[in-house]
Amino acid sequence: MLRNIAFGLAGAMLVICGSADAHHSFAAEFDGNKPVRLIGTITRIEWTNPHSYFYLDVTDSHGQVNNWACESGNPGALSRRGWKKGDIKFGDRLTVDGYLAKDGSRLIDARRVTLPDGRVVYGGSAGDGGPGDAAAAPKP
Amino acid sequence: MRKSGCVPLVVLSIAAALTAKAAPVDPAIPPEEASLLFGVEPVGPSPAAPRTADGHPDLSGFWKGSRATKPVGNIGKDLPGFKLPLTAAGAAALKRNLTTTVDPEALCIIGGIPRHSASALPFEIVQNKDHVVFLYMYTYFRSIPVDGRKHTVDPDPTFFGDKTGRWEGDTFVIDTVGLKDTPIWIDENANPQSEAMHVVEKWTRPDANHIHLELTVDDPKFYTHPFQYTRTWLAGRPGEGLKEYSCSENNVDRPHIGPGPGPIRADGTRGYDVPPLPAVPPPPEAYGK
Repeated sequence: MLRNIAFGLAGAMLVICGSADAHHSFAAEFDGNKPVRLIGTITRIEWTNPHSYFYLDVTDSHGQVNNWACESGNPGALSRRGWKKGDIKFGDRLTVDGYLAKDGSRLIDARRVTLPDGRVVYGGSAGDGGPGDAAAAPKP
Repeated sequence: MRKSGCVPLVVLSIAAALTAKAAPVDPAIPPEEASLLFGVEPVGPSPAAPRTADGHPDLSGFWKGSRATKPVGNIGKDLPGFKLPLTAAGAAALKRNLTTTVDPEALCIIGGIPRHSASALPFEIVQNKDHVVFLYMYTYFRSIPVDGRKHTVDPDPTFFGDKTGRWEGDTFVIDTVGLKDTPIWIDENANPQSEAMHVVEKWTRPDANHIHLELTVDDPKFYTHPFQYTRTWLAGRPGEGLKEYSCSENNVDRPHIGPGPGPIRADGTRGYDVPPLPAVPPPPEAYGK
């Protein structure tokens, strides 16, 4: 229930934000029907506009290591959510929940990021219309 | 009776609080992030709009969206069912935008007018005697001359067009022609605009805390008749303003962005109507990755 409320609050904020800092819609790049969890080690960090990116080496069940790109909000937005650029560094292990890119590349929308210190941060671009927005929207 | 009835409530509240601490709460965007974009409707009467030395209302200020504006990003916001009066050519252009055109904003192409006025993003106005300047996110701007000039004859199309400004009483009127053609989107929902488009904006500042727009789109190539878009913004807090926002610093996403805005919800905004992230999503191997 509390989880649902939290999800609801997150979604409501997104709806309130409208297009906010998103410079493209979620649906133009990511597949809302393909949620995914990556657990991996940071190999690169790009603290840039219009999106920040970080890259993870993820080892699959056969021992194969693949490098994944994780797209997240811009530095200003992430900082306001308590995620500062010094909070992650090369070699840190992260858990990132998000959605696969539609084009099949190893790129995800990093929606929910568990930082090395255990904090869980919303990593997405506000108001991009991603999953969860409408479910929690206040009815007109 | 009342006392005994309260005890379980207290117990439940404590239990809920303990559960709240233990629960893996999903992260949310903090309210202060939204407050950067959306203004607060003032309580009680607002002061009168300030005026410039030449007696006109001073439109200068940092203007933020209102939560009352729905749907954001849709130029058909004020039309029944948000249904735009598309001509056959307009419908074809919309189809092309939806199926073959990447959102120009995602490519760091200027949104132009009227899209910037349909956006959720705040903007700033700086006004003097002979110009009114609109400053937008992405470090874009348009400067409206207020010197009695006429439109350029056969202007080369631009994103903000060939514009003239004039005062009609306390209303500032901007008349714009010479705008870019499709595949520029007129709004965030990929609706089309053509080079035939003529946009008239009527800006008023009814009081110090509000600025209001009545915008008319007249595009006979893509729309069967002119239609209106109205909106009110709220004054930002003292000290607030636009900051640098580089659109093209690191566009890793560009080659991955497909055409169109994605599904349009029943409420007129772009986005999904599907549940949020599961608590534990599957690993990439679930998708053969």
